[in-house]
Amino acid sequence: MFVIQNRELRNSIRVAVPFVLIPAVTIAGAVVFDRKRHIIISLAVAVMALLLFAAGFERKTTGSRRLVIVSVMTALCFAGRFIPFLKPIAALTIITALYLGGEAGFLVGAMTAVLSNFYFGQGPWTAFQMLAWGMTGLIAGILAEPLKRRKWLLLVYGALAGVAYSFIMDIWTVLWYAEGFSFRLYLGALFTAIPYTLSYAVSNVLFLHFLAKPFGEKLGRIKTKYGV
Amino acid sequence: MRRFSEFDPVAVTVWFFSVTGVAMFCGHPLLMAISLAGAVLFFVVRNGTKHVRSHIFFFLLFAVLALANPLISHNGATVLFVINDRPVTLEALLYGVNSAAMIVGVLYWFRSLTQIMTSEKVLCVAGTLSPKLALVLSMALRSVPMFARRAKQVSDSQKAMGLYSEDNIIDDIRGHMRVFSIISTWALENGIITADSMAARGYGTGRRTQLRRFRFTAVDAVLVLVTLALLAVTAAAIAADSLAFTFYPRIDITVNGALGICGAAAYGALVLLPIFIETEVSLRWRYLQSKI
Repeated sequence: MFVIQNRELRNSIRVAVPFVLIPAVTIAGAVVFDRKRHIIISLAVAVMALLLFAAGFERKTTGSRRLVIVSVMTALCFAGRFIPFLKPIAALTIITALYLGGEAGFLVGAMTAVLSNFYFGQGPWTAFQMLAWGMTGLIAGILAEPLKRRKWLLLVYGALAGVAYSFIMDIWTVLWYAEGFSFRLYLGALFTAIPYTLSYAVSNVLFLHFLAKPFGEKLGRIKTKYGV
Repeated sequence: MRRFSEFDPVAVTVWFFSVTGVAMFCGHPLLMAISLAGAVLFFVVRNGTKHVRSHIFFFLLFAVLALANPLISHNGATVLFVINDRPVTLEALLYGVNSAAMIVGVLYWFRSLTQIMTSEKVLCVAGTLSPKLALVLSMALRSVPMFARRAKQVSDSQKAMGLYSEDNIIDDIRGHMRVFSIISTWALENGIITADSMAARGYGTGRRTQLRRFRFTAVDAVLVLVTLALLAVTAAAIAADSLAFTFYPRIDITVNGALGICGAAAYGALVLLPIFIETEVSLRWRYLQSKI
């Protein structure tokens, strides 16, 4: 097993990806490839965004306590994915983000996608799932203050996140199937996915409604008890 | 010789992403046929006649995906028949078959990948990129069975205290919620204690090591080089338009000249590489056994 000599490579990834690689891939994709190649570009950009995050995360001196809490929340999400029909992943991701910050939320969402797909099947969609759930957490972390203050806002955010997740994953479905983006196919995919979209939105609202307060108290208690 | 699954995780990863990368991003019908056939063959070589249900599922998925396109897309010159004033064309049907071959092929590849790349190996690969993320992943993996055991204990003691009844659905849900709440409080506190214990034992002062040692040997290097060489030939053929195709308005699939043939042959060799390794190993094993 060879080990990449870590720090310098990671630092170069942090600079190269957002300023050079992502624009280069997007422009090259628009100029060089014909319209059938959207899927390569979207997959490449998704993977690079995740790389960027990994590199940035590694640079920080995150305490081991925080890391362990993130892994505990990931495990709870993973276990929750076995509940039939209702999925608490996005809700738990949002709750983590509210109390531990957007970065922790991103991690919980992205890591849950990787982990649970060991069971549910890995595929090229894993990168998109990671990004979609990760962004759900990251944005919740940015909006943490207003979301914590007003319950209805939190529930609305949960519902929107569920719908957005379904819409993002359907873009991927269409790109994969047709190789070019066809709006009619996208509408068709959205239409057939309505039960899933509803289940995402409903389970987010339900779990946020029931879990936000108790979990907030638990995480807050841990924070004051151990000073994370 | 080792089995294909016993090669270094990095070498296996490179091979898998070469094969699935071409399958996902090229779309040439000949390569799709090679990919689908190879994927099914590899899965069967590894698993024998088990997993009949997933074969049935994949077959149904193939049928649905193949038939969906002619109902949505009405491009193409050869009209087969007309439904609701909309033409159903041969080209759209074959395009659907091609897309279905691509998707089902990649699904088969990833089914085998999930079997071969156990979580331990993924952690090993992830650890080179980011040791911290690998740590989060491995701890979460270990936590899931631990939570399950703990949940059993908690619900048993709740039952013993007379708090938990499964008589009606409301009580059942309440009981589950209570167990879940207890588990999560415990899990978070236990996590903090684990973290402190890790820090006390010097976590973060050195590089993380693996339980199993993966060594990148010369054979692994050969596998990576052969994979990349075959991939390069295929990619060159695709880039030079030697493996070109259009479906609309008329089907036109071309394999141009020597480069096109080489590209398709290289992809075939790439797909058959692990099947060859597996067969070679099991033949040798049988031979060695017969000498005992």
